[in-house]
Amino acid sequence: MVKHIAKRILVTIPVLLGIVLLIFFMLQVVPGDPVTVMMKEHLKEDVVEGLRQSMHLDDPFFVRYYHYILDMLHGDLGTSWKLSRPVTGLIAGAFPYTLRLAVAAALFSWIMGIPVGIISAVKKNSLIDHLSMGVSLFGVSMPVFWVALILQNTFKNVLPVSGVKSWTGYILPTIVLGWSSAGRIARLTRSNLLEVLRNDYIRTARSKGLSPLKVITRHALKNALIPVITVMAIQISSLLSGAVITESVFAIPGVGSLAVSAINNRDMPLLQGTVIFTALLIIAGNLVADILYSVIDPRIRVD
Amino acid sequence: MKRIISMLAALALVLALAVPCAVAEEKDNWLHIFYTDDPESLDVQATTDSYTIPLNCFDRLVETDTVDGEPQVIPGLADSWDISDDGLTYTFHLHPGVTFQNGDPFTADDVVYTVNRMMDPVNLTKNYDLYYGIVEGAAEYRDGESDAGVTGVTAIDDETVEFKLVTPCASFLSRLATPGGAVYNRESTEGVEDFGVNPAVCFGTGPFQVTEWELGSTVTLTANKDYFKGAPAIDGIVMHIVSDADTQRMMFEQGTVDVFNFDYAESQLQWFLDNGYADQIVSGTRAGTYYFMFNTAIEPLDNVNVRKALQMAVDRQTILDQMYGGEGALLSSFIPAGILSHNPDAEPIPYDPEQAKQILADEGYADGFDMELAVMADSKTSLDISTILCSYFQAVGVRATVTQYDESSYYDIRRDGQLPSYYNSWSADYNDPDNFLDTFFARHNTVGRSVNYSNEEILDLIDAAGLMTDADERLAAYQKIDNAVVHEDAVVLPLYQRNHLFCLSPRVQGFKVSWNGWSDMSFYGITLAD
Repeated sequence: MVKHIAKRILVTIPVLLGIVLLIFFMLQVVPGDPVTVMMKEHLKEDVVEGLRQSMHLDDPFFVRYYHYILDMLHGDLGTSWKLSRPVTGLIAGAFPYTLRLAVAAALFSWIMGIPVGIISAVKKNSLIDHLSMGVSLFGVSMPVFWVALILQNTFKNVLPVSGVKSWTGYILPTIVLGWSSAGRIARLTRSNLLEVLRNDYIRTARSKGLSPLKVITRHALKNALIPVITVMAIQISSLLSGAVITESVFAIPGVGSLAVSAINNRDMPLLQGTVIFTALLIIAGNLVADILYSVIDPRIRVD
Repeated sequence: MKRIISMLAALALVLALAVPCAVAEEKDNWLHIFYTDDPESLDVQATTDSYTIPLNCFDRLVETDTVDGEPQVIPGLADSWDISDDGLTYTFHLHPGVTFQNGDPFTADDVVYTVNRMMDPVNLTKNYDLYYGIVEGAAEYRDGESDAGVTGVTAIDDETVEFKLVTPCASFLSRLATPGGAVYNRESTEGVEDFGVNPAVCFGTGPFQVTEWELGSTVTLTANKDYFKGAPAIDGIVMHIVSDADTQRMMFEQGTVDVFNFDYAESQLQWFLDNGYADQIVSGTRAGTYYFMFNTAIEPLDNVNVRKALQMAVDRQTILDQMYGGEGALLSSFIPAGILSHNPDAEPIPYDPEQAKQILADEGYADGFDMELAVMADSKTSLDISTILCSYFQAVGVRATVTQYDESSYYDIRRDGQLPSYYNSWSADYNDPDNFLDTFFARHNTVGRSVNYSNEEILDLIDAAGLMTDADERLAAYQKIDNAVVHEDAVVLPLYQRNHLFCLSPRVQGFKVSWNGWSDMSFYGITLAD
C-alpha cells in the first residue's frame, strides 16, 4: 500500500514540472509587453526600462525558467507586479476563502445529490424521477454566471449578494457552485444504484423478507456509492479550482478572484502562481481519489 | 435515510431562521462605495490611477476646488504663497500646527523629503513629471547626473518652504494640486519598504486614515478626528472591491453601497433609468475630451481638406444621444469646459455629409480612399464608437475599416507614431491647458501620440506658451493653439465631453461632483442622514 502511494506521488513530480514549463511558456508567448500595459497613458521610457530590469524581462527564456523553478522550490513564486506583494503570501491569504466555499459547495452537492439520486432510483420512471433528473440535467447544463445572476436577483432582498464578511454571504455562492456538482452526483448515484439493484444478492435480500428500506440502506447503497465517493474526491479539487467565476461574481477574495485580477492587470507572476497552485490542487485531488479507490477496492492495486 | 432527512430538515430550519436577518439594514455612519479592483498602491508616487487614497488620506500644499463654478487653486497645507516677479521662486507659508495621523508634526522638511523621494531614481516613481525639468536639480537627480538631491526645494524654516524653478511654469500650482503632490511624513515613511502596501505605516495629514486593507475585499478609511480643517462628519469610508457590474448594482439596491459610480459600470445606467432611480442620479461636467485623432503622417490624412471633410462627416450629437443618453455636451474645441482657456464661443463643427463628399471630390478622392481606425481590443465601448465613426466615414465614400490591437501593441505602435487614426478620451490631471495641448501636440509628444503634427508656427507657440507668466497672454496663446489644431489644421475631431454620473442613496448629503476628469474624488464634505 505504502509502495503504491509512493509510486503515485513520484509520478506527480514530472507532471508538475511539465505543467510549470507549459504555463511559463504560454504566458511568455502572449503578445505584448506587460510594462507598456502597466504604464498605459503615462508611458515614461526610463521607468519602463527600470521596471523591465526589475522584473527580469530582458533575461533569456530558459534563464528565467531556471530561476523560477529554483525559487519555486524555495516556496517563492515571485512578487505580484500590481500589488507589490509576494505571490505565495497572496495565495495563502486567499486560499482559506476558496477552501471554505469549495467545502460548503461539496457538502451541499452531497446533501442534495445523494438523496435525490436514491429517490430517483427507487422510484424509477415515476414523475418524481423524471422531475429530479430533469432538474439535475438543468443544473449540470446551466452556466455558472447565469445561475448566479438569477439567484442574486431572486434573493437580493434577503441575502447578501457580495462579500463573505458574515457566513450568510456564503449561502448563494455555495448553491451556485454546488448546483452542477449536485446534479452530477444525483445522476451518478441513480445509475449506480439501479445497476446494483439488479444484482442477485439484492434479490436474495428481498426474498429473505427484508423491508425495501433495509435492502437499499444495508445492501445496495454500500456498493452503489463506491464510484460516487471517488468522484466526490476529484470533485473537491475541481470545486477548489473552478470557483473563478463564482468568486468574482460574488466578490469573494479567493484564489479565483486573484486569478481574474491577475489577468485583467497582466500580472504575470500572480497569474503563474495561481495557475500552478490550481494545477497542484488538481494533482492532489486525483492522487487522493486514486488512493481512496485502492483502499475501497483492493483489486485496483494489482494493476 | 432518516438521518439524512433530519439533517436536511435541520439545515432548512437554520437557513429559515438566519435569512430574515441576513441583510441587516446598515444605518451606520460609514460611507460605503465600491471599486472594481484593489488600489494599486497606497503610495500615490507609485500609481497613476488609484487616486481615492491620496485624495482622502493625504493633503497637498495647494488644492483645486470648484469656486463659483470654476476650478481654482485654493490653500491646502500652505495657507498662502508668494511668487517672485520673474516667476522662478515660489515660497509657501505652511499652516501651523498640522500633524500627521500618527501624531508627528508636519514641517517644511516633510515637503523637501516628499519631492526628493519622488525624484530619487531608485524609487521608479510614476508621477515624477510633476517636478522633472521644472524644479531646479530635479531632472539631474532623476537622471543620475547628480546625487545632491533636488536642489530647488529648501526648507527656510519649519513653516516655510521654497521652490526654485528652472523656467517660469504657469501651471506649477495646478500641478502641485494633483494627487501626485501628496505630502509624506519623513519620520514614518523614509526607508520603510512596505509603505505602499501596509496601512499600519501609512500616515498622511488628510481627513481619513487607511486603517485596514483586506485584499480583494475591502479597504477601510477611518475619519481623522484631528484633521486640521475639522473632523469629517462621517465615521469613515468602506471601499468594497467588487468586479461584477450586476453585483455592484444589486449591492446598491440592497443599500450595501451608498454611491453608485457609473464610471465602473456604464452598462447599468439604463437599468437605473428604467427602474425609478432617475431622481437619485446626479451629474456634473467632466473635464475631459472624447476625440478622434487623425494621424497626419498617413496619406491622404496629410491633406488638411480631407481631414476637414472627415470632421464634417460625423453626426456627433447622435453618438452622444445613442451611446450616453445625451449626458454631456458637444465640443468644438480640444480644451473642454472646466479647464482654463476653454473657448465656449469656438466655431461649431457642422454635420454636413454632402459638403464632405464635395470636398473629397474636389481633392481628387471622389472614389474614396482606404482608411484604418485603430482601437484597443479590450474596450467594448471604444469598439462600438469606432464602428459608428467608421460607418459615418463610409457614408461619405471612404473605405474605412476598424482594426483591433491588443493593449500592449496599441501603446507600442502609438509610441512609434505609426498608430492609425483613433478614437479615445483624455481627462484633466490638473487644471491647465498645457495638460491637453502639450500632451498631444507639442514637439516632444506629437509623434508618441501618433498625431505627427507639423505646423512649425504652432509648435513654436506651444513651447513658448508653457513659459509665459502673463496669464492673459498665455490664455490667448492656448486659444490660438486650440483653434489651430481643431479648425485651421483639423488634426483632431473633438467629439463631446461627458458628464460624471452617480446614483446616490437618499442618505448621502453634501455630495459634490468633482471638477476633474478622474473617477476618484474626495469624500470629505459628505454627511449621512439617519
